[in-house]
Amino acid sequence: MKNKNFFEIKNVDFYAGGNPKVKNVSFSIENEGDIICLLGPSGIGKTTILRTIAGLEKINDGSISLNGNLISSKEINVEPEDRNISLAFQDNSLFPHYSVEKNILLGAERNKGKKDKKLNLKEIVDLLDIFNILNKYPHQISAGEAQRASLARSLITQPDLLLLDEPLSNVDQSFKEEIQVRLKKILNKLKITTIIVTHDSYEAFYLGTKCGIILDQQLKQFDDPYKVYHFPNSVEVVNFLNRGILIPAKVTGKNTLENWDLGTIEGNFIKEYPKGANVQLLLQPEDLEHDDKSNLKLEVVDRKFRGTNFIYTLKTPSNTLIPVFVHSHHIHQHEVDEKFGIKRPIHIDHIVCF
Amino acid sequence: MFKNFNIWFVISIIISSFVLIPILTVFSSFFDDTSEYYELLKNTFLIEYIFNSSVLLFSVLVLTFLIGTGSAYLVSFYEFPLSNFFKWALILSFAVPPYIYAYSLTAFFENYGTAYAILKNLFGDGNYNQSIPKFDGMFGAILSITFSLYAYVYILARASFLYQSQNLIDLGKNLGFSKFKSFYKIILPSARPAIVAGLSLVAMETLAEFGAVDFFSINTLTTGIYNSWIAFDDLAFANRLSFFLLLFIFALFILENLSRKNAKYHFNTREGLKQKEKLKLYGTKSYLAFMFCFIIFFLSFLFPLSQMLYWTIKFPENFFDIKIFELLMNTIYLVTISSFILISFSLISNYGNRVSKNKILNTLSTLSISGYAIPGVILAIAFITFIAWFDESVIKSFGILSIKKIFIGSILGLVIVYFVRFYSLAFNGIKSGYEKINISVDESSYLLGYSKRKTFMNIHIPFLRNSLLFIVILISLEIIRELPITLILRPFNFETFATTAYISASEDLLEAAAVPSLFLILIAAFFIIISSKYILRDNEK
Repeated sequence: MKNKNFFEIKNVDFYAGGNPKVKNVSFSIENEGDIICLLGPSGIGKTTILRTIAGLEKINDGSISLNGNLISSKEINVEPEDRNISLAFQDNSLFPHYSVEKNILLGAERNKGKKDKKLNLKEIVDLLDIFNILNKYPHQISAGEAQRASLARSLITQPDLLLLDEPLSNVDQSFKEEIQVRLKKILNKLKITTIIVTHDSYEAFYLGTKCGIILDQQLKQFDDPYKVYHFPNSVEVVNFLNRGILIPAKVTGKNTLENWDLGTIEGNFIKEYPKGANVQLLLQPEDLEHDDKSNLKLEVVDRKFRGTNFIYTLKTPSNTLIPVFVHSHHIHQHEVDEKFGIKRPIHIDHIVCF
Repeated sequence: MFKNFNIWFVISIIISSFVLIPILTVFSSFFDDTSEYYELLKNTFLIEYIFNSSVLLFSVLVLTFLIGTGSAYLVSFYEFPLSNFFKWALILSFAVPPYIYAYSLTAFFENYGTAYAILKNLFGDGNYNQSIPKFDGMFGAILSITFSLYAYVYILARASFLYQSQNLIDLGKNLGFSKFKSFYKIILPSARPAIVAGLSLVAMETLAEFGAVDFFSINTLTTGIYNSWIAFDDLAFANRLSFFLLLFIFALFILENLSRKNAKYHFNTREGLKQKEKLKLYGTKSYLAFMFCFIIFFLSFLFPLSQMLYWTIKFPENFFDIKIFELLMNTIYLVTISSFILISFSLISNYGNRVSKNKILNTLSTLSISGYAIPGVILAIAFITFIAWFDESVIKSFGILSIKKIFIGSILGLVIVYFVRFYSLAFNGIKSGYEKINISVDESSYLLGYSKRKTFMNIHIPFLRNSLLFIVILISLEIIRELPITLILRPFNFETFATTAYISASEDLLEAAAVPSLFLILIAAFFIIISSKYILRDNEK
């Protein structure tokens, strides 16, 4: 029976070299052309997931299907060359004895004449700005250039599913955002379904239709980037995304809770808790506002300048350290040991508790 | 266990197992025999064989270390007159096999030899024979082998010196080390794995050496094996001796393998590949460096070459006595067939290893390349032993006629044993080419829709083209110089330059050995010159 999802992973344990990496993973891509980003710390098994989807690693449990056809299970393993899935490796996987141009053109041979939407060499060269290296050999170009050439080769195959392993990790920061914009544009234009593995959360949130967070050998959360960011579903995700700190609080009403140091906090709970419940409230740097006139004053223990903003670290009477975001154009700056006013009443749009 | 079972895997298993047969034959025949042979051997020849082999081995190792490392150091770090010429000229000694060096040495220093003729021409008649030193016996064998083999140490030490990190050298200067202190504290230790690897090759070749030690009548384990087979027609005796020699060699082989693993470590750093600036030498130092390299070049190559050339000119009748064209054709015939088979099977076996990633196959392959460490004499005799056993116990039991003639004294048998002997050369050469191809290149190819066969043909073969060419040259060089296997297994009336030279020399017709020796040196030198870039690794990026 054909599956209605374009791509689906069902209860798969992923192994690399016989060692379990990520267990019991399930997620699906409903629509062709969607971009999925998998986020997680280094060595967690993100690459293993891509390699398995590409057919380079086998599975013993669960199933993987593409376009309604089963491509991996305990019994079935469609060979990588028969999957029409393209994987751009993080390290340099260009054919060392061919020029960059020949490398890319080898990719073009795969779906010659099969696809409706054509992507020619010029377009791809412009997109990734690799005109200057076309006649060079892989050992003559930088790691960032090799990565773009490899990406070009994968893109030009116009696969059913494109897998990108940290595609821009070696690309200069100044150029990275521009490439991200161009990449997203072309993927959307050609409707190439893509799974991107990255450890850069901003890259994932920008490119991804959906994001998956992999931690502790599990797919912890799989959701829209907005929801992942604002509604993290576990303490591990909060810590991974470095979203703020957890402080103890007591639920006092439908929209309020109380903290010993900060007093009453109001807002919308994303999950219901009974009145009187003791919870851990996620406090993010942008949740608190600076107000010199406020009578809630906390001691400054550190101040980090981050270009567009400052992150103040404040100490509460119970010795909890709280981060507070302040725009860097804000006139009144506080030094360490000075008092810092917090606007009251404290209002948080989405109250996330655990 | 056989998770990645495919056609590549099956073929690779067959090739590796096939190459292992002679090695296993030697070991098995030792354990089968229950005669009192060992006692007899122990009381008679064994001690002498082992003593001579050890003296030869130790002396050659010390000399090749000094000459190989010293010359490599000079040409890698200093600029002096002709230093760029010596860089590659010093490997020309490979063109002179130890047995031809031995002929030259004897020809020059013997009574009324070339040295006598020179003195007579210069100073008139005189009793010079007494004052001319005689380089024969053990001393002659040591010199012949040393000058023929030091290039192994030279090449590997030089490659290691060449790619030594500039930072390391700068560090020595920064710590205020003198040049000598930098050499033995920094440069030498970091080149140690390469030098040990070179010395291990020298050791294996020395223990396997047949022609030169036989010429000087030194009884070593190798000549003992040959003589026991030829003189006493005693295969068991030969196999027993082979077993001892194999133990000796396997110990060296393990040492070499361990050392090579380390050597890899500092070869692969990009920083290490930075070409160092050579220091220009002036005055006496420059003269001494030049003289050191020149003397080695002269003694190892010019001396045997000119001796053979001198005799060829002096006794022109020999030139017309031997059928040079036929010898050349025979050599080309052997080289072409052997290279083709070696390259094809080694390529398949390497690819099989790569795609199946199977531990059993990997172990089999590692064992199978040990053929190079086994002296040609042993391989040839083990092959005959195996064929004789197979013929008696398998073929005849099926009522089929004997197959001995198909394999023994035939080109087929000769090529098979060459295959076993030089398999490691081809296998390792291709393997090191493959090591430069990241496994993700294969995976990318599959993901671009290429099958395993297409990946092999369209991606790997073009990439390995230069390596393959180089391996063909190495195989050719080895086959041209090869003596004992060809001598034992060649068909009746089928000669090569090496066997013709050996036969003449063993009949005390050294003058007649000069023509084939000269051709052998010239052809080998030609191959060395066209491949010197690869041998010296100057083209590595």
